[in-house]
Amino acid sequence: MTNSMQPPIKLHNQQGSAQSSLISRLAKRSIFRNTRRTLLTVLLISCSLVAILFTDAFVRGMVTTMVKISTQTFLGEGQIHQVGFRAANDIDLYIKDTDALYQQLNNIEEIQAYAPRILTGAMTSSSENVASAMVYGVDALKEAQVSKLKLAMTQGDYLSNVDGEILLGEQLADLLEVNLGDRLVVTVSEAHGGELSQALFRVSGLFSFNERTMDIGMAFINLSQGQKLLNIKGVHEVALRLQHLTQAEDKQLPFWQALNNEQLETLSWQELVPQLSSMLAMTQYSTLIVSLIMYILVCLGLINTMFMSIFERHTEFGILLAIGTRAKQLFYQIMLEGFFIGLLSVTVGLILAWGVCYWGSIVGIDYSELEMSGLTLNEPIYLVIDAATFFYMAIATIVVTLIACLYPAFHAARLQPSFAMRKTL
Amino acid sequence: MTITTQTDTAHKVINMTTKSEETVIETKQLCREFGQGDTLVKALSDANITIERGEFTAIIGPSGSGKSTLLQLIGGLDNPSSGDVFLDKKNISHMTGTELSDFRRDHIGFIFQAYNLIPVLSARENIEYIMLLQGVSASERKKRVDMLMHAVGLEGLGDRRPAELSGGQQQRVAVARAMVSKPSIILADEPTANLDSKTGADLLDMMKDLNEQQNMTFVFSTHDPKIMERARRIIRLVDGCVVDDERKA
Ligand SMILES: Nc1ncnc2c1ncn2[C@@H]1O[C@H](COP(=O)(O)OP(=O)(O)O)[C@@H](O)[C@H]1O
Ligand SMILES: [Mg+2]
Repeated sequence: MTNSMQPPIKLHNQQGSAQSSLISRLAKRSIFRNTRRTLLTVLLISCSLVAILFTDAFVRGMVTTMVKISTQTFLGEGQIHQVGFRAANDIDLYIKDTDALYQQLNNIEEIQAYAPRILTGAMTSSSENVASAMVYGVDALKEAQVSKLKLAMTQGDYLSNVDGEILLGEQLADLLEVNLGDRLVVTVSEAHGGELSQALFRVSGLFSFNERTMDIGMAFINLSQGQKLLNIKGVHEVALRLQHLTQAEDKQLPFWQALNNEQLETLSWQELVPQLSSMLAMTQYSTLIVSLIMYILVCLGLINTMFMSIFERHTEFGILLAIGTRAKQLFYQIMLEGFFIGLLSVTVGLILAWGVCYWGSIVGIDYSELEMSGLTLNEPIYLVIDAATFFYMAIATIVVTLIACLYPAFHAARLQPSFAMRKTL
Repeated sequence: MTITTQTDTAHKVINMTTKSEETVIETKQLCREFGQGDTLVKALSDANITIERGEFTAIIGPSGSGKSTLLQLIGGLDNPSSGDVFLDKKNISHMTGTELSDFRRDHIGFIFQAYNLIPVLSARENIEYIMLLQGVSASERKKRVDMLMHAVGLEGLGDRRPAELSGGQQQRVAVARAMVSKPSIILADEPTANLDSKTGADLLDMMKDLNEQQNMTFVFSTHDPKIMERARRIIRLVDGCVVDDERKA
């Protein structure tokens, strides 16, 4: 054997990088050979990414809006009760040492405002009709800092700490066929198994929370009169307004511990309305489902594109294999083409998605006509952009692109050079 | 031809001492069939061919006589139905896919009838390609590409894409690419079929010059009488059978 059979000069440290730069050059130029097809594919993938990210931002926005509505309307981000009150729904279980509690609440930084309430089921009777309702005794000033009651007034005046004032939901007023100034008798049973107790009120104002169950079933009187009516010295409930909504989720914060003891039970809105928080948990699956559907479409579209482009290049691949390209290198080239398409799509998709979601986060989407699980969205939904989701979905899109390219790449790598060239020879 | 690297000088010296005694291609009872039963086509039957280093051999025969099949089997692009191919005394049917790829890359140059070049790569890059696969250093690559562009008469056209070159120029690039890794064998399947007769004849003359200067072994197929005249050895195929094998003085 002569030295023409000697292996060529090899510089192994350079071999890898020179080869990969060659393969990436081939891949980059190949995807722009059919620009229109590549751009259509990029559009398909980037639009899918936009749809996924929009859905996510929308669901997040909806969750935020719903939580905001339910906590800010009346619930508060948390509530304090006497231990056992919620379970037994017993008006005898009220918070007795209210002064000490208020003192404590004033010293907790996270608590921005609090509203003490008494509550009881009651019979309301006008000259025309009778109806059962939940009657709340509230501190006019403090209530206004926590709930939307004052803002929800549609007629008449808000409470002013004068006995005999009562605020009715608009629909309750309709039911009772009363107007501002009309007389109304409220009948309750006193605490500690006491007697029936009655008081006369004049309708001083009407409110609407835009939620049927509240507007037909709630009435508000002054706290002091409520206490007298029930013959109790304390309150049943203290609603809390926190500085941030997130503080409701973080049960590690010391104030949660401080407000939970043998006497007091303090719960966050998630615990108070578990239906709401479980519904919110379910909405997170919507992103998953939308992304699954979109990614299946992306896979099919991409496999189709890659196969079209591979079939067009059979001869070329035959030549590449004939002159010594390893099957593995051809495989990498196709994978790299897919990777570049994915990268391009993700770039375009992220920019588009950010634009759309940013716009939606400023303008908001009005859904006030729609009622969901008895909850009316009386505020527009402002989309919420979650950077982590953007990041993970970008990665997922590239991974999906690569997975979709596996099959076409295997196909190309398994081509027989003679078969691939036969078409032209 | 002005290849003046040290290794090439060494080639010539060694090649001269061993010239024409060394078998580079040998096929034994080589058969290739396509299809089965009624549609069985014997594209190549029992071909026993021996080609020595430095020969300039034409495989001739009418269309469908098995020329391409023979060249593809020799080049390891296709698997024989039976029989063996020995290149540099190695039985290529015993090689794995990657070994065969690397063997083709390092020891065989291919030239096809048309569409030889990778359309997205420039003429230079097409020639460079194999050296990039081999990991040849950048300076060495540039030197060899320049040299070959000169040898095939395409100086100054290196940056053109194949679509910007004429058919004859494309085939010259293909010849340069086939020679770039200094292979021991160059296989050309009807390299002139898509060229006009003058251009085809020129290409053949150039190949012949390279063959004489470099002692490189050329095997090419053709059905053009003017082209086959230039070969020093002619193997004639009819219906897949070798019917004639003559060496000119
Ligand atoms: N892949 C194939 N499938 C079926 N028949 C084939 C295939 N390749 C070649 N043939 C047949 O083998 C014979 C020889 O073909 P080929 O080697 O291409 O001849 P040539 O190159 O001399 O024109 C022809 O009859 C051809 O039809
Ligand atoms: Mg042929």
